Amino acid sequence: MDIFSALSEPTRRRILEMLSQTEHLTASEISDKFDVSAAAISQHLKVLREANLVTVEKRAQQRLYKLKPNGMTELESWVNQMTQVWKHRFDRLEQVLEAEKKKL
Amino acid sequence: MNIVDHTINGSELTLTRTFDAPRELVWKAFTEPELIAKWWGPRGWNTKITTMEVKPGGVWHYCMVGPNGEEAWGLSTYKELNPPAKMIYTDAFCNAEGVINESMPQIDVVMDFIDVDGKTKIVSKSTYATEAELKTVVDMGMLPGITETWDRLAEHLQSV
Repeated sequence: MDIFSALSEPTRRRILEMLSQTEHLTASEISDKFDVSAAAISQHLKVLREANLVTVEKRAQQRLYKLKPNGMTELESWVNQMTQVWKHRFDRLEQVLEAEKKKL
Repeated sequence: MNIVDHTINGSELTLTRTFDAPRELVWKAFTEPELIAKWWGPRGWNTKITTMEVKPGGVWHYCMVGPNGEEAWGLSTYKELNPPAKMIYTDAFCNAEGVINESMPQIDVVMDFIDVDGKTKIVSKSTYATEAELKTVVDMGMLPGITETWDRLAEHLQSV
């Protein structure tokens, strides 16, 4: 799954927020905070891992989930790019509208 | 007034700006080839329009040509049109033949034109389209639309 689809789900966004406030969490520490089943959380973690947003580290019997620091870059760069493109477009559109208004 | 406000909600980016012009005029600037060509491309680039079928399922196929002759082809497919209030379309990268580059991001855009005392507030919502959404668009008849255009172009060239 791509990063945008991964981020479209509110539970997954909350998991990322939780991970951003701490060094790492186990799957059970995460699922304790939600009303949904552990299996559902495990599925969300799988999606986040596949979208390159979190990493998992095996330590003894535990699997520790961590936020991947550069995971957001793809989305952020898309947002910045789109905002720039539309700012320029809208500036030019404004000029076109002014010129067209004079013709009315 | 010349500031673009933006907010992000999940995979949705909202851009808002108000223009001192009536909605009908803003709609014209989005749907008439000679007008949109004047503002769509980046500064210093020209927009050449191959096809502009402003109707549901219709496509807008264009090329932005840069100062050094570099070309960036785009293809928009109109899903919903409600002049002068709303348009929904999908924006994609493509080649000169109108074949979509599926490795590039596709964007679903919902554009609202809201009348505010004779001025027009544009609210543009862009969402990254998934591969599944792309397939739906293709199934909805975008490819037949393109084929039809090429057929018409071919007819035209023969008749010249």
